[in-house]
Amino acid sequence: MPASDHSTAPDGAFTITRIFSAPRHLVWKVWSEAKQMQTWWGPKGCSIKVANFEFWPGGFFHYAMQFPNGPQMWGRFLYREIVARERIVWLNSFSNEGCGITRAPFDQSIPLEILNEVTLVETTGKTTVTLRARPHGAAENEVKVFEGMFASLDQGYSGTFDRLASSLSKA
Amino acid sequence: MRRDQLDVTFAALADPTRRAILSRLAKGEATVNQLAAPFNMTQPSISKHLKVLERAGLISRGRTAQTRPCRLEAVPLKKAAQWVDTYRHLWEDSFDRLDAHLKAAQSAKAKGKINAGQ
Repeated sequence: MPASDHSTAPDGAFTITRIFSAPRHLVWKVWSEAKQMQTWWGPKGCSIKVANFEFWPGGFFHYAMQFPNGPQMWGRFLYREIVARERIVWLNSFSNEGCGITRAPFDQSIPLEILNEVTLVETTGKTTVTLRARPHGAAENEVKVFEGMFASLDQGYSGTFDRLASSLSKA
Repeated sequence: MRRDQLDVTFAALADPTRRAILSRLAKGEATVNQLAAPFNMTQPSISKHLKVLERAGLISRGRTAQTRPCRLEAVPLKKAAQWVDTYRHLWEDSFDRLDAHLKAAQSAKAKGKINAGQ
């Protein structure tokens, strides 16, 4: 993890923060233009082909994900709120070719939709980007599990779920 | 994992006491009495939670010893933890590329200014 990343969970949501050495208007540009998004966003090793990019509340960013020697998969952002240079809120999910929502093709247990919020704050020419995420419209149970994975956690025992997860990954 | 089995797992994990029990068991197996003490709960109410966890496949209980110690069964949780890791990696990797992209964009811009004699 790079030095400027913080994965914290003050209120149970998944949060990741990174400081970029660029002014906010430039960082905003890379989030708000299709041509820019496809150069940096996406899973590692996968190339993104933009099918549709409607950067306004209610609009879709619909894209194909191509992994080397892998099947093509589709995904979408459904933008819910856009405040220029400050904040974007969107739902991210897998989709089909027609932009209809689907579960992850490789794992039915992945939450159907993740609600993401990104905020940009500029300080002396650098921009702090904070991304928060949580499952959306999932059964309350799914949300609880997702939060439990990050939360610094329930009172009672000093052990955290993070530690639990890390001991599990060694198991 | 079958969908309905997964629902049972999620339901079991939705309760903070049960998650705390799992955190405790991540450190090693424990008896009902050992689990009950720090929660200030009676043995029967802890036993109820343990039954839910056992049905969800999250713990197993010893068959031989009188105390029937509980131990954590990692697989269902591991699956959920893997998904969280995947999501974290998606964003860390994307931010790495974004960082490189922004640096390239700024250096190209600086170069352009020099070429334009500004």
